Amino acid sequence: MTDFEPIDFSPLEPERDPRRWAKVADTVRLRMEAALLQRRREPDTFAVLTVWARPILAAAVVALLVLGSTAVGMGSAGVSRASEARRLAYLAESSVVHGRTPTGAQVVKAIIGRGAR
Amino acid sequence: MGRSDADLVTQVRLGDLAAADQLLQRYLRSCRAVALAVTGNEADADDVCQDAFVAAIERIDDCRDPARFGGWLLQIVRNRARNALRHHRVRATEPLDDAAPDTKYSASAEAERNELSERLRAGLAQLPEAQREVVLLHDLEGWKHDEIAELLSLPPGTVRSHLHHARRRLRRILGEKDAEA
Repeated sequence: MTDFEPIDFSPLEPERDPRRWAKVADTVRLRMEAALLQRRREPDTFAVLTVWARPILAAAVVALLVLGSTAVGMGSAGVSRASEARRLAYLAESSVVHGRTPTGAQVVKAIIGRGAR
Repeated sequence: MGRSDADLVTQVRLGDLAAADQLLQRYLRSCRAVALAVTGNEADADDVCQDAFVAAIERIDDCRDPARFGGWLLQIVRNRARNALRHHRVRATEPLDDAAPDTKYSASAEAERNELSERLRAGLAQLPEAQREVVLLHDLEGWKHDEIAELLSLPPGTVRSHLHHARRRLRRILGEKDAEA
């Protein structure tokens, strides 16, 4: 026998007891299935960001509009500007809470103050 | 050759059980061989290869090079097998569950096989770990030199050398035992 011939490792063969080895593979399969099911249920990071991006973006737009309109209206009637800011803040808050992007019409209504609520 | 490891890993990341099953069929035996090379005990090797494979699937996002999934997986197996050894979880006897032994062998044939496997384990225990891994992957699992080289990140020449020395030493050990008997 030379060192080029393989050693007979058949006594260490895992499938020497086929039922036992099948049980090992089945156990791994079951545990893998549970792990992959969990993976399919968990939303990935991108999906989470996508869900959050819209309301945050909408709130940012509304905040810019508030700042812009406040800057434009500096020195004019303070009461009117204060109520306008309140309406816009309400719109921003409700869009973040409900995860809805405000439409252009809603923003305009909030600024001019007719039928905003 | 079926789908590439990289392709299967991509599918597993999307939660594809069939892809994970293909990786299981491709590598579970090799995991067991490496676990056996480290622990020297078949029952522990079975436990370690199960845990390591499931851990690899759970941590599949950590596999930085999906084309080298096999090498990454075997490193997990090696680490877990060494931990098992460190925590003295190595069993003294083989049976780990209540499954009845396969009855296709007679009691005397089974006793002879057990004696042979005990001698092989004792012989393997005298080899360095790298030689044990190479000889088991080649002679028990049928992997080729270049496949083992890639799997273990070793130069092919080193794999050949490990295999040559492992066989020679094992034959000498087993021969000595024959002479003693």
